[in-house]
Amino acid sequence: MKQLRYNFGYFLREAGVIMRMNLLSHLTSFFSMALIFLLLAMVLAGWWVGNHAIAAIENEAEISAYYAEDMPGNAVLRLAEEIQNIAGVKEVLPVSAEEAYKRMEEILGKEARVLTYFDDNPFSPFLEIRIDLAAMEQVLQAVQQTDGIEYVRDNREVLERLRQLAGAVRLLGYLIITAVGVSTLVIISHLIRTGIENNREQINTLLLLGAPDSFIAFPFLLTGLFLSVGGGMLAAVLAGFALRYLFLRIEGPLPFLPLPPLGSLVLKLAVFVILLSALLGLAGSFSGLQTAKHKS
Amino acid sequence: MIAAKNVTLQYPDGTVALKNINLSVKPGEVIYITGPSGSGKTSLLKLLMAVEFPTAGTLEIMGRSYSRGQAGPIRQLRRMLGPVFQDFKLIKGRTALENIMLGMRFLGIPAAEMKKNAAEALAKVGLANKANTPVENLSWGECQRISIARALARKPALILADEPTGNLDRENALNILELLVGSKDEQTAVLITTHATHLIPENQNRIIRLKEGVLEEAGA
Repeated sequence: MKQLRYNFGYFLREAGVIMRMNLLSHLTSFFSMALIFLLLAMVLAGWWVGNHAIAAIENEAEISAYYAEDMPGNAVLRLAEEIQNIAGVKEVLPVSAEEAYKRMEEILGKEARVLTYFDDNPFSPFLEIRIDLAAMEQVLQAVQQTDGIEYVRDNREVLERLRQLAGAVRLLGYLIITAVGVSTLVIISHLIRTGIENNREQINTLLLLGAPDSFIAFPFLLTGLFLSVGGGMLAAVLAGFALRYLFLRIEGPLPFLPLPPLGSLVLKLAVFVILLSALLGLAGSFSGLQTAKHKS
Repeated sequence: MIAAKNVTLQYPDGTVALKNINLSVKPGEVIYITGPSGSGKTSLLKLLMAVEFPTAGTLEIMGRSYSRGQAGPIRQLRRMLGPVFQDFKLIKGRTALENIMLGMRFLGIPAAEMKKNAAEALAKVGLANKANTPVENLSWGECQRISIARALARKPALILADEPTGNLDRENALNILELLVGSKDEQTAVLITTHATHLIPENQNRIIRLKEGVLEEAGA
C-alpha cells in the first residue's frame, strides 16, 4: 500500500507512456471496445425496456367486458356487482363511452386529433375488470358466461408476445455479454502482452534493481483498465444519446407503450457498462500479465 | 559481506566461466577486478547479483546464499545493491532525474525523500543541470554518470560496477572511477570490473585478477 501511495503518480505517468509508445494500436483498441460496449448497452437497454413493459402490463392486468350499449344504468351496476363476486376479480369499474373517449385522448396526447375525424364517439361503454393475473383463465370463463356480457377483451396475446420478445432479447443479451467479455479479454490481454514485449528491456532493468512484480505490473494493469473503462464510458455516453433519440421516436407513434424513465434507464445502463468494463479490463490485464510472465 | 568458497560457474552450454573462486569482501572495501575480455569478470558480477548461481562451491552475499527460484530473497538482495551496468540500462524516454528515482521507487522511500536523494546524487556526479534532460539526449559519459548516480542514490551496501570506464577517454574514465570510490558511503563496498588496468589509481585497497575464470589476488 505504501508503495502504491508513494508511486501512484509514477504509475499513472508510466501507463500514459505505455499508451503513447503504441498510440495507434491503443486508440484502435479503445474505439473497438467502445463499439463492443455500445452494442452491449443497446441490447441491455432493449432487455430492460421489455421487462419494464411486461411488468407494467402485468401490474395492470385487466380485462374489458362489453355489454349491450342500450343497457340501463341500474342493470350495468347489477352486472358489475355480479362480476365483482367472481373469485380472482379485484375491482370492477363501469366506464362510460365518454370516459373511454377521454382516456384515449389522454393516451394519444398530441396525436388525439385523429379522434376528431369521427362524427360520433367511436367507443362503447364497458366494464373495466382488474384481476389477479394468475386467475385470468377462470375469470375470463366466468365473465364470458355472465348474462348480459357480449364480448370480453383481454391482453393475454400482447403479454405473451412481449414475453417472447423479452425472452429473445434476454437470450441475445446473454450471448452478447459473453461475446463482449471474451472480446474485451482477448483485446486487453493481447495489448498488455504487446506492451510487456515492447518494454522487455525496461522490465529486465527493474528486475535487476530488485523491483517486485507488482511494481512492474501495475502500469500495465492501469493501461488495460484505462482502455477498457474509457471504452465503457464512451459507450455509455453514446448509448445515452442513442436512447434519447429512440425514445423520442417511439413515444410519438407508440404512446401506449409503457417505457421506463429515460434518466434512470441511462444511469443504470452507464453504471452497469462502466463496472463491467472495469471488471473485464482488470481480468484482461491480469490474463495478459500472467501469459507474458509464463512466456518470459 | 561476500564470502565465496571454491565457487565454480558453468553455463548450460558447458562453458566454465569461473573455476574455484575464493573471495572475501568486507564492508567499505574497494576492489578492482581486472582481466581481459572473456576472463569471467561479468560472470562474477552476475553471481553477486544473483542473476547466475554457483554450479559448485558456496557463495554467501550479505550473510546468506541464494538459489534459482528464490524470487523474494533475490529481490531483497538486489535492493541492497547499487549496480552500474556496462550498457547503463537507463530507461529511454525518461529524464535523468526520473531514471535515478526509478531505482528507489520500490524501496519504500517517500516521494519527497526520493527526489532529494536523486537530486543529491545528480549533484555528486556533477549533472545537477541535466536533471530534466531525457537520457537519450545525454552523451556516453553523462549516461555513465547518471547510471552511477542511480546506484549511489539507493544508498547500497554494495556497489557492483561492470566496466564503468569502457569506451571513455582517460580523463573521463578517471573521473568515473573517482566518483564511484569518492562518493560512496563509508560502509559501502565497491567492486569494479575493468580491463583497463592502467586506469586504476595507485594505492587502492585491492586488485584482483581473473584469467580464464581463475582468480588471483594481484595485490594492493
